Amino acid sequence: MAKILVIAEHRDGKLSEGTLELCNAAKAIASAMGCEPAAAAFGKDDAIANEVAKYIPTVYSVTDAALEKYTSDGYAQAAKAVIESQDVKGVLIAQSYDGVDFAAKVAMAIGAGIVSNCNKVDVEGGAPVFTRNTYNGKIQEQKKVKTDKFVATFEKGAYEVAAAGGAGAVSAVSASISNVRTKVKEVIATMAGAVDISQARVIVSGGRGLKDADKYKDIIIPLAQKLGGEYGASRPVVDSGWTEAARQVGQSGKVVTPDLYLALGISGAIQHVAGMKGSKCIVAVNKDPEAPIFNIATYGIVADLFEVVPHLMEGL
Amino acid sequence: MKIVVCLKQVPDMESNFKIIDGSKIDESQVAFKINDFDNYAVEAALQLKEKNGGEVIIVSAGPDRAAKDIRQAFAMGADWGIQINDPAVQAGDNFVIAQNLQKAIEGIGGVDLVLTGVQAEDDQAAITGVMLADLLGLPHCTNVVKLEVNGANMVVNRELEGGLNEVLELSAPAVLSIQSGINEPRYPTLPGIMKAKKKQLDAKKAADLGAGTESKTEFVKMFFPVSETKAEIIQGDPATAAKTLIEKLKNEAKVI
Repeated sequence: MAKILVIAEHRDGKLSEGTLELCNAAKAIASAMGCEPAAAAFGKDDAIANEVAKYIPTVYSVTDAALEKYTSDGYAQAAKAVIESQDVKGVLIAQSYDGVDFAAKVAMAIGAGIVSNCNKVDVEGGAPVFTRNTYNGKIQEQKKVKTDKFVATFEKGAYEVAAAGGAGAVSAVSASISNVRTKVKEVIATMAGAVDISQARVIVSGGRGLKDADKYKDIIIPLAQKLGGEYGASRPVVDSGWTEAARQVGQSGKVVTPDLYLALGISGAIQHVAGMKGSKCIVAVNKDPEAPIFNIATYGIVADLFEVVPHLMEGL
Repeated sequence: MKIVVCLKQVPDMESNFKIIDGSKIDESQVAFKINDFDNYAVEAALQLKEKNGGEVIIVSAGPDRAAKDIRQAFAMGADWGIQINDPAVQAGDNFVIAQNLQKAIEGIGGVDLVLTGVQAEDDQAAITGVMLADLLGLPHCTNVVKLEVNGANMVVNRELEGGLNEVLELSAPAVLSIQSGINEPRYPTLPGIMKAKKKQLDAKKAADLGAGTESKTEFVKMFFPVSETKAEIIQGDPATAAKTLIEKLKNEAKVI
């Protein structure tokens, strides 16, 4: 039977959460398409393949010294070897940093259409229809592939994390990995020794809507202090240098789960939401009633934050 | 160094979007601008040119309106450009765009480095740059947050989750997708804007480039997302809303 194949992602011997979500995605999609779920794991030995086998019934393992560390060349060659030696209908990859780096290369290697950054799949007439975010999350679109096989990447949280407990079969697939053109020197922590906002009970975060560095400092910091919490920021604020990178909340920054998260002038792009959606209570203040942040907030105020915050300062 | 920057013109994401027939956005209601990520790629290219000499070439696939933002990049300091202005390319998917960019870049010849933004703000696909690298037969790195070029040797930092960076080496020619925050994109100066008007902008169609227009994916429809959990919107003027919010946080959510 044809396979819906997850490409496992791992770092320091640990599977990513996105991979565990994809194991569930593969089961759902395979069942709707009359296929079987499977995974491919690449590494210097079978350790990761054995780990994935706890979550999915069939695992193909490609082992090579050149696969010890992730590289796009290594992963694309290993994926191609598995897809071409097995009956693979669809390939699922996380829309993570590594996933973004190699997914399109896998699609090119097997000549398949790719739909990236998906959050849902419907199967219509036996073919998958992918739903994905566009326009900064304000509009969704549906896409299909015109090729026999497909590659799809999924945003984090699209599926629940699969539970461990199975004992899948691991089989070896041979591949010759050659001509790896990027050389990994090291992985470094860019925020070592900096402030840690992840333990704060209250976080007041500001986004692009704060307009400039002075307004960010004048509005966000006093409100955070008044609430006895920390102040944070969305990516554009850090990119513009209004505050330090260690205060960035989101996929590339900190993941926080405070009791209260105030998002001021933050539109709610998926990369930001990934870092704060676990907060107990989320308050959003934004002028734009269509801002995606209102879809995940507990309470929302559709107004100019510069008019609302002074009243909050007065009332608290 | 001969550096190509692939640039896309996109709608301002703050726009109040309207969808026509579930198939496209109403362009009469939106303002267009350079894709934010591409601005950082243009700046990165200009900094490399200032350090190493050479030229910066903008390659963009887009309709007539896109010329305004290609010239914006010229005003920042880019030297000349190619606009792939072809309805058949506009109607194509990322694969079609990548193929046309590839042929345009091969036509320029002797390109040392191709820079793209991490993704386009409108389609949020983040795949065109990687496809382009593959078609050009070049190595690539995505989400670049630091870039050092020493001749043909490059050391780049690739952004990872949670504040980690992977430091890696690769050789030019290569394709790099540039992440926001890597630099501070400059604003065009008045002399820059004046010069930009006279810079060379070649218009090409897929047939001129010898590139295909056959997509591998198919658009079905677009719609506004329906969230199951919409926020409770607190009504009233700012003073009333602020007062109500504080009460709710104290008595209902019990978080302050």
